[in-house]
Amino acid sequence: MKFFKKTDIIAIAAIIAAAAAIWLIYSQAASGRPVKAEIYYYSQLVETVELAAGREKVFSVPQDDDVVLRIDANGSIQFIESDCPDKVCIKTGRIHLAGQSAACLPNGIVVKIVPADGWNGDEPDIIIGSGGKQTGSAQ
Amino acid sequence: MIDNITAMKRKNILACISVKRICLFCMSVLLLLNTAACGMRKPVRYEATFLQLFDTKTTIIAYTNDKEEFAAHSRLIYDTLSEYHQLYDIYNSYEGINNLKTVNDNAGRAPVKVDRRIIDLLKFSKQWHDKTDGKVNVAYGAVLRIWHDYRQRGMNDPDSAELPPVDMLAEAARHTDINRIIINEAESTVYLADPEMSIDVGAIAKGYATEQASRIAMEAGFTSGLISVGGNVRAIGSKNAQGHPWNVGIQNPETGEKLPDLHILDIMDASLVTSGIYERYYTVDGIDYHHIIDPDTLFPSTDYKSVSILCRDSGMADALSTAVFNMDIDQAVEFIEGLPEVEGFWVLKNGGFRYTSHFEDYIREP
Repeated sequence: MKFFKKTDIIAIAAIIAAAAAIWLIYSQAASGRPVKAEIYYYSQLVETVELAAGREKVFSVPQDDDVVLRIDANGSIQFIESDCPDKVCIKTGRIHLAGQSAACLPNGIVVKIVPADGWNGDEPDIIIGSGGKQTGSAQ
Repeated sequence: MIDNITAMKRKNILACISVKRICLFCMSVLLLLNTAACGMRKPVRYEATFLQLFDTKTTIIAYTNDKEEFAAHSRLIYDTLSEYHQLYDIYNSYEGINNLKTVNDNAGRAPVKVDRRIIDLLKFSKQWHDKTDGKVNVAYGAVLRIWHDYRQRGMNDPDSAELPPVDMLAEAARHTDINRIIINEAESTVYLADPEMSIDVGAIAKGYATEQASRIAMEAGFTSGLISVGGNVRAIGSKNAQGHPWNVGIQNPETGEKLPDLHILDIMDASLVTSGIYERYYTVDGIDYHHIIDPDTLFPSTDYKSVSILCRDSGMADALSTAVFNMDIDQAVEFIEGLPEVEGFWVLKNGGFRYTSHFEDYIREP
């Protein structure tokens, strides 16, 4: 005597599998949602770059080629060169978390890390402090 | 027998239907949630960044119904901070304004008529100077200026970077008596009674101005938002109508110990200030010299990588973060524990970290 038919079991299994898949997607999204870096030149958004692991890039904004930014293979971004006097921008080091930012005040350049698919209210609204000295080509 | 089979089939059909019903129910709940979200006007996150104030980055964040509402608030906050910035500036003069540079320029010469906001800041600073046994001192300009000049030169030309001579620092330290800042409230004047002394409010002004701008914005109806002036974060109200707190992250320096890279704090109507040594420093003979100068040694304090203070008033948090940077760890923890509703978090230079007893209560569960 069977309580369930085969098709029911398949249907239930399918639902459980779908639930598991959705749960996986959500938990993945919560732990490491993709981020992008927005680069501003005097309050104007001039460039947006995806921060994905494995994509290295060294670049400047068209408005100021004395300031150089680098995206590392680990998906972080940092200022590596600047003609500013205090080099606070370079000393800020690598950033990669939504809510982090780095700025070169004398040159009017700000880099902000934002969630690639928009803020969902669950991320840190802002991140302060510094991870400390990090090795970079300009250090 | 036949009846039995029919009964079983019926059961199966029922099971099928109930599964279908559950699915349909779940789907309709999801759809309802979605339509509910569409139906309500959901506040949108806005963020504004300014680079012109207090030689640092200012960020304003809020969830508002539209851009105009956000712009009105951020304009008021910017304008307020801008006024404070001009008044507390020790490097630049502004037309028609007597600011702290004017006060410094007239040291030993004449009292300077100043805005009430300068007098309020100096009174606040004196109060915290006394409470911290002089560990934060706005009359320390003479010493800080020497370090500032050597740091600037050292950064411009790292190969010839050098330390200020000890006797030069010691001579300057003779001109740092905060009681020789003579405040005349009736006349609204400030006079520096020692011609060699000068005021430097770098350790307090940002936080103090952030607090005043927050209060002015709150009176104007800004009931929910975050204001950060160079790492002085002031949270106003909660993040949304549901009362969720603001989430402020502190990125921790490396310690080699079991300290996570990031602490995320849940805060409402509170300020968080982190003082670190990693952004403003210069290097002499392979050693980094940062900008927080201990009045006892006349050299940068060597105990911490960073200090974070959490309390309601941003000016108080700013003053305290500098003051405890200049205390040893036991003294620092004891001092903060002795203040009501103030919490602290220290990352030590030689590894390790310390919290006051309730700092961790604000850390969001991972």
